[in-house]
Amino acid sequence: METSYFRRPIPLAAIILLALAVHGPLLVMQLPLNTSYDANFHIFFASHYAQHWFDPWNGKWFAGFSQTTYPPLGHQWIAIFSYVVGLKMAYMLVQLIALLLLPVGVYRFARLWVDERASSYAALFSIFLGVVGFLVYSAGQLSTMLSAPLYLLALPYFYDWSRNGEGRALLKGVILTLAAASVHHVTLLFGSMLFAMPVLWLACLDRKEGRSVFPVIARAGVFAVLAGIGVGIVLLPYWIAIIRHPIEQMPIPHASRSNLLMNMTYFINYFVVPYGALILALPFILWFGSSNRRLRPLLLAFWFAFLFGLGGTTPVPKWILGRAFDILTFERFTLWAALLALPIVGLLAEVMLDRYQRVAAVGLSLAAVGSLTLSLGWLVWSPFHTLGGMKVDSVVEFLNRNGHDRYRYLTLGFGNSLPKISTYSDASSVDGEYNSARLLPEMTHYGSAQLTSSKYFGTAGMESLRAMLKHANYYGLKYIFVHDPYYEPLLAFAGWRQIESYDPDSITVWSKEDVPPARKFESDAMPAPWEGLLWGILPLASSILAILFALLLPDRRRATESVVEFPAASSEGVLAGEAR
Amino acid sequence: MMKRVLPIVLAVATVVFIWIAWVQSGGIERHRMFSARSPEEAVRLLLTAAKSRNWDAAYSRLANAGEVEKAAFARDLGGSNGSLRTYATLENFNVWGLHADNQEATVRAKLHYSTAVGPLDDVRDIKVRNDGSGTWKVVWPTSKVPKLAPQVIPVNYLRWDVINRGAEDDWGVQNVDSPQVRIVSMNALQRPDRVVILGEIVNEDTVPAYVNVNAALLAPDGSPVAQETSFDKISHTLLPKQVSPYRIDFPGMKLQQIKSVRMDAKAMLVPATADPVIAVTQQRMETDALGKKVLRGELLNQSGQIVNIPHVVASYYDANGKVIWVSDGYLDQELLPQIPVAFAVDLPDDVAGKVQTYHVVVNYYQKNNS
Repeated sequence: METSYFRRPIPLAAIILLALAVHGPLLVMQLPLNTSYDANFHIFFASHYAQHWFDPWNGKWFAGFSQTTYPPLGHQWIAIFSYVVGLKMAYMLVQLIALLLLPVGVYRFARLWVDERASSYAALFSIFLGVVGFLVYSAGQLSTMLSAPLYLLALPYFYDWSRNGEGRALLKGVILTLAAASVHHVTLLFGSMLFAMPVLWLACLDRKEGRSVFPVIARAGVFAVLAGIGVGIVLLPYWIAIIRHPIEQMPIPHASRSNLLMNMTYFINYFVVPYGALILALPFILWFGSSNRRLRPLLLAFWFAFLFGLGGTTPVPKWILGRAFDILTFERFTLWAALLALPIVGLLAEVMLDRYQRVAAVGLSLAAVGSLTLSLGWLVWSPFHTLGGMKVDSVVEFLNRNGHDRYRYLTLGFGNSLPKISTYSDASSVDGEYNSARLLPEMTHYGSAQLTSSKYFGTAGMESLRAMLKHANYYGLKYIFVHDPYYEPLLAFAGWRQIESYDPDSITVWSKEDVPPARKFESDAMPAPWEGLLWGILPLASSILAILFALLLPDRRRATESVVEFPAASSEGVLAGEAR
Repeated sequence: MMKRVLPIVLAVATVVFIWIAWVQSGGIERHRMFSARSPEEAVRLLLTAAKSRNWDAAYSRLANAGEVEKAAFARDLGGSNGSLRTYATLENFNVWGLHADNQEATVRAKLHYSTAVGPLDDVRDIKVRNDGSGTWKVVWPTSKVPKLAPQVIPVNYLRWDVINRGAEDDWGVQNVDSPQVRIVSMNALQRPDRVVILGEIVNEDTVPAYVNVNAALLAPDGSPVAQETSFDKISHTLLPKQVSPYRIDFPGMKLQQIKSVRMDAKAMLVPATADPVIAVTQQRMETDALGKKVLRGELLNQSGQIVNIPHVVASYYDANGKVIWVSDGYLDQELLPQIPVAFAVDLPDDVAGKVQTYHVVVNYYQKNNS
C-alpha cells in the first residue's frame, strides 16, 4: 500500500472542502456583485421569478420582454433561496453550489480518462482555474458555471449507457442533461458537443473485446434522442420564442471575438488570465494527449475548444459557426477547453509528483494558486471595470415615489448597475442588459448593446440612443438618469432638462415634460399562459429529479482503471482499460 | 506513429490558423504601416495614434515637431474647453494621396468621429515630408490660438427667473399658464427616403418658453400612421417674441400614404437668459470642395463666457417667403469670447436653387449650465 501523500489520490471530500474554503469567503463577501458584469443581470431575472413564478413576461426591460428567451433554472433556484436569504445571498449560494459541483464533475469526468489519483488532481486544479475566477468574479457567468458541472456529471452516465447499456445510467444521464440544459442554452447547443463526442469515441474504444461499435453508437443515439426530446419539452417555451423571433439584430461587437494578438489588453483578458499556468502545460497537454490512444479524443476536443476560445485569433470559429459567430461570446469556450484539458493535466501532475515529489508539489501548488490569484488580481489591474457596485438607491427612490413609475426611464453611464435599479424599482425601462431579448427596432437595427453604454459602441451606439430618444413620447420615456456627463449635450439639445442631482452631482436626473405616461405594448413575443406554466414547472422538476436520482439511485461502482505511466512503452495499445 | 504526428499536426495547424487570422485582421498592413515608407502610411500611423488618443505617439510622427507645441497639437486633434471635439472619438478614417514627389506629398484624410450628439465627419488635407531616409512624416499646420487682451465685458442682457417651484415638485408642476407659442408655418415635403415636416414656431408671450414640436401623420381614416418630434432640429428655449425653425423627419414614409398632419407644440415656462448673445455674420451660400451646396458664415460669441458646443439651425425661404428647408449642424469647436468661428451647414442641391433668403438661429450647450 502506498503511504506517501504524493502518491495517493486526494479524497474528493477534502477537495470539496477546499473549494468551499477558497470560494466561500469570496462569495460571502459578495465579491461578484461589485466586480462582475452579469451578477446583477442574473439577480434581476431571479427577482422576476420570485414575484411572478408562472409569468415569464417581464415588463421592466425593453418595454416588455419574455424571460423564456433564457433558460430559467439557475434564476429559479436563486428565486427560491431568496425567500430565505434575500436575492443577493441567494445568488452567492447558487454560485457556490456551482463551484462545489465543479470539482465533483471534473473528478467524475476525469475518471473516464485517467486513474483515480490523476482525477483527484484534475478536480483539485479545477478549484484554482484562472478561467473559473474570471467567469465567476469578473464575467459573472453563473449559468455557464452551473451548467458545466451538470454536463460533466451527466457524461459518465452517457459513457456507461453507451458502452454497457445500463438503464439506470441512461435515466440519470438524461435527467442531468435536462437539468443542465435548463440552466444554460449555449452550453447545451455548443459545449455539450465538445464534451459528448470524445466520450462517445472513448466508449467505442472501450467496448467489449470483439464486439461491434454499432451498438455503442446506437445506444448513444438513443441517449441523444431522449435527451433531445426531453430538452425540447422542458424548454419548449424557449424554442417557441426563438423560432418566433430568431436573433436577426445587427451583430454587436464583443472583445472576445476580436483577434487577441492585435490588442495586448484583450490578449491578457481572454488568454493569459483565463488559462493562467495552464499555458505552461500546453506543450505537455499536446504530448501526453497524443501519446495515449484513449486520450486522443479528449485532446482533439480540447484543441477545438481551445481554438474557439481564441475567438477571432483564428478563422476556425467563424468558418464553423457562420453567423452564430457574431452572436456568441467566446470566453466560455476557454472554460470548456480548460475542463477538457484537466484530466491530462492531472496525469501530468501525477508524473511530476512521482518524479520530483516535494518540488513538484510546491511548483504545482504555486501554479494553481497563482492562476486563481492572477484572475482575482486582474479585477483590480484590468482597464475594464464594472459599475455593478454603484450606489443607485437615490434613483430607485426617485422612481418609486410620486407616481414616477407611470413613465419609462433610461439610464446613461450606469453600465451593469442598470439591472440593480430594475430589480428594486417598480418602473419600466426601454433599455435592458440582455441583448438576445431585444425586439425594439431602435436597438436591433444599430449593432450596439445597452443604451446605457451607448458611447462605447461609437456611432452605432449613439445613433441607437438618438433613435430611442426621438421616440420618447411613443414609449412614455420621460426620465433619464445620467452618470456620465458625456451624454448631457445630446439630452440638452434634444429637449430634456435637468431636474435633480444626487450623490453630489454624480447622478443627474433629466425630464421631458410633453411625454405621456407609458402604455403597455401588446407583443407576439408574450408567452401564452400554458407556456408560463411549463416554464415554472418542468425546468425545476428536472433538477429536483436529478437530485432525487442522485440520492436514491446509487451508481454501480466502476472498477478501478489503470493508466500506464507516461511515457508509455507501447503507445498504440489500450492504456486504460476497464475491468468489471 | 500517431504519437509523434498528432502533436505536430495540431501545433502546425494552430499556427497556420493564427497566421491566416492575423493576415485577415490586417496584420501585414499594420506591420507595414509602422515603417511609414509611403505618405499614406505616415498619415495612417499618426491617425491610428490619434484614434487611441496617444498624443505622444502621434506627436512623434511630426516632421515639424519643433514648430508645433505638443499641447496645441493635442488640442487640435482632441479638442479643448469642453468643445464637441472633446466629446468625440475618432472612429475610422480613409486616406488617399492628392499629390506626391520625392520629398513632399499631400494626403487627404476623411475622418469619421463618433460624438456625443451624433456622427461627425471632417476632411483634412495633410502635408507629408520625406525625412531623407525613406521615412515619411507629417507636417502639421502651425495654428496659433488667438488671445484677447484682458478686458471687461459688461453683462446687461435680460434674464428671467422662475421662483414658484416647490423643492419637491417636478419641473413643469408650476401651476401657471403655459407660455403662448404658435406654429407660424408648416410645410410638408416628400424627400427621396422620407417625409419632412418643417416650419417655424414663435413665442408670442412675454416670458420665455421651452418648446417641443410633435407631429403625427394621419391616414385617410384619421388614424396616426407615424409620430415624430423635432428632437434637436429646433431651438427649444425661446425668449419672448423669438422665432425658431423646426424640422421633423419621418423616415420611410410617403406623402401619398397620408391625408393630413396633426401638429402639437408643447410649451413650458422656464428660467432663461439672453446671455450669451451669439452673432451670426458673413452668411453666404457657396459650393464646397466636394461640390455640395452649403450655407457658410461665422459665429461670434459676444459674451465673456465660453460656449462649449454651438449648434446652428438654419431655415431657408423661397421667393414667397415660405420655409422650404431647415438644416442644422454642430460645431466641433468651442466659441471663445469675441473670437469668430466659421460654420457651414449643407442643404440639398434641388432646394438650393429655390432659396432666396435664409435665417440662422444658434443653439448652444454650456457645461454646468444646461
